[in-house]
Amino acid sequence: MKALFDGGLWPYLLVIFAGFLPTDVWRWLAVIFARRLDEESELMVFARAVATALVAGVIMRLVLLPTGDLVAVPLAIRVGAVAGGFLVYFLARRSLLVGALAGEAIMIAGAYLTAG
Amino acid sequence: MSESPAGSDPASSPDPASRGGGHWYARGLFAGVTSVQGAVLFASYVGFGGLCAGVGFPTGAAIFSSLLVLALPSQLLLVGGYVAGNGAPVIALAVLLSAARLLPAVVTLLPYLRGRGRLFVQLFAAHFVAVSIWVEARRHLPPLPVEARLPFYFGMATIFNGGCVAATVIGFLLAGRLPQALAIGLTFLTPISFLLALTRNSRDLVDYLSLALGLALAPIFAAVGGRLDLLWTGLAGGAAAWAIHRLRKRAA
Repeated sequence: MKALFDGGLWPYLLVIFAGFLPTDVWRWLAVIFARRLDEESELMVFARAVATALVAGVIMRLVLLPTGDLVAVPLAIRVGAVAGGFLVYFLARRSLLVGALAGEAIMIAGAYLTAG
Repeated sequence: MSESPAGSDPASSPDPASRGGGHWYARGLFAGVTSVQGAVLFASYVGFGGLCAGVGFPTGAAIFSSLLVLALPSQLLLVGGYVAGNGAPVIALAVLLSAARLLPAVVTLLPYLRGRGRLFVQLFAAHFVAVSIWVEARRHLPPLPVEARLPFYFGMATIFNGGCVAATVIGFLLAGRLPQALAIGLTFLTPISFLLALTRNSRDLVDYLSLALGLALAPIFAAVGGRLDLLWTGLAGGAAAWAIHRLRKRAA
């Protein structure tokens, strides 16, 4: 129990005020402003497009400009693992599991050979 | 008449609305447990737990963040900022900017989470929206009867939230015991799985366009967009995809 409060209460307050609130404010704003919006309306199509582009941007950023462990892996292997996973996904008739496993295999092998 | 359609296949029961919320909650639990996206999410949270252990973020606060924040990018920014010694306002702004992507995600799910229209229930449901559950809910909820969607969703949310908390704990327990190549593989799970899930979930031209434009614009805005590059990528890529979709629709 004592380990749970290592560092005092500050990290917990940080989680609430710098993690939970700035994240949930978007979730709540969405409910307040979008309660009467129709799924097929053009605004919804626009919102979906922005959400998709944002997540795609996060993916590209993680691969091209990584932080933490991925930094140790050369760019060519990071891009190759994404491209390989993508290719195998389609070859395996759109199987997410098989595609992800293929990308992982390339990444782990590459990391083992270059960074491990 | 020995064959009854209801008896032969529960999924095609002639009156699914008559089933109770508990049934659909249990179906949602099952969908959460069997979700590939969920399994990948839990693996990512094992990685998050390991990261927190490695950089000295307190165990309890890391678990608390998985319970309460439920958005991996927000949690990574939080921990990264804490370790870098950034002040709370700086961390909060970074999290605020990165979490903007949740607004359209919640907006697009809301039509399926209306329930009986109570604001409190919708706010509570919206709290659990993150990219992974968004992906699964957009696949599972539309075919369900209207009354079934909210309990089904809360079933999935229970598994996703509880699983993330458990995975964070497991990450702490595993920390330092994984070889580096496997730890790197764990870090890579989030990008590869999100990319494939977005591709699988694309239905129309606008989905494929926004996916492709987001991927293509990210490095450009990362170079010239300053600290708001991710927002620019989402807004420019999404707006361009939507504009092309509108032009084609008008031409048709």
